[in-house]
Amino acid sequence: MTRAHATTPEDDPPALSPTPLALARMFVGVALAGIGGGLPAHTRRALTTRGWMTDEAFAETFTLAQLTPGPNAVNLAAMVGARLSGRLGAVASTVGVLTPGLVAMLAVSAVTLGLPGGLPPALQSALHGAACAALAVLLTAALPVVRVGWGVRGGPLLTVLTFLALGVGRLDLLPVFLVLVGAGLLLHRPRGAA
Amino acid sequence: MGDLPNLWELILAFARLGLISFGGTNVAEMERSLVLEHGWIDARTLANGFALGQLMPGPNMLAVTHYGYAAAGLAGALAATLGFYGPTALLSAVAALVWQRHSAHPWVAAFRNALLPFGGGVILAGALVLARTSVTSWPAAVLAVLAFGLLWQTRVNSAVVVLGAAAVGALLGL
Repeated sequence: MTRAHATTPEDDPPALSPTPLALARMFVGVALAGIGGGLPAHTRRALTTRGWMTDEAFAETFTLAQLTPGPNAVNLAAMVGARLSGRLGAVASTVGVLTPGLVAMLAVSAVTLGLPGGLPPALQSALHGAACAALAVLLTAALPVVRVGWGVRGGPLLTVLTFLALGVGRLDLLPVFLVLVGAGLLLHRPRGAA
Repeated sequence: MGDLPNLWELILAFARLGLISFGGTNVAEMERSLVLEHGWIDARTLANGFALGQLMPGPNMLAVTHYGYAAAGLAGALAATLGFYGPTALLSAVAALVWQRHSAHPWVAAFRNALLPFGGGVILAGALVLARTSVTSWPAAVLAVLAFGLLWQTRVNSAVVVLGAAAVGALLGL
């Protein structure tokens, strides 16, 4: 483990490659710092301060994590782990980023769901209030995503159709995906390419 | 909440939900599958779990752990978590390695441009589904709007906003 030549943004990550255990430890810290969101930002800071990844490599990995299906923050951890430390690194990073929340959520679920006769009214009221704010959190996370999708050719129409089909029509996701992403592919098909 | 689902069924259902979540969450499809189709949880549990997920350290879709617990106890919680995160993490790790070789391919760019508006529509549909359960009264609507304004205009931590809204909810008896 020597200091990386961190100034050269090569294709490959910096030479300083962490062990799976070090990655797991880093991602536990990222998860704890990320209460209430902002995990990608915490991940970026943790990686660049350790010199494990350049900003360029992080930006590319982050974009890719947004394109793969599934929860972004966990995908990002798996990808960072894979790039920096192979298969074991991917497993260690995924387990690391999930563990603190999993333990906390199990404890909270055992308490709130285990009460005979359901939640006490005050607690249910509190959760209802929290749910209103959680909706607001979802919307603030949604708007940048919507804005990016809006900007591509045919984007506004495809965004609105997806919303209507899934949110209002409650249609099954896979057929909607096939039709609308298929339409998008047709719109953006590479011209003159194989 | 009906019969206890078997764990394999849970793992498969949550793996499917994970793999078809674009842009992070797919609340609309979760409700369709878990509440309407299987009846493992009710709409109230869906909204409660989503709110609790915002307060947990780490990825906020840990709501799936709550849903698994509600459906089938501790084993269900672990099955749901494994099913939801396992396959997508595996896929991501593989994609990260493949991407480094093929990112210049024109069909990769086309797929990206097709996926982005779809992801936006999916996440908006999820907001509508949550709003139907949570925004059931004028005070709830005002609370949601205030929380949105606070989050959008300031850099305050979202967990703080969610906790504050919980306190307001308890006081108002929402």
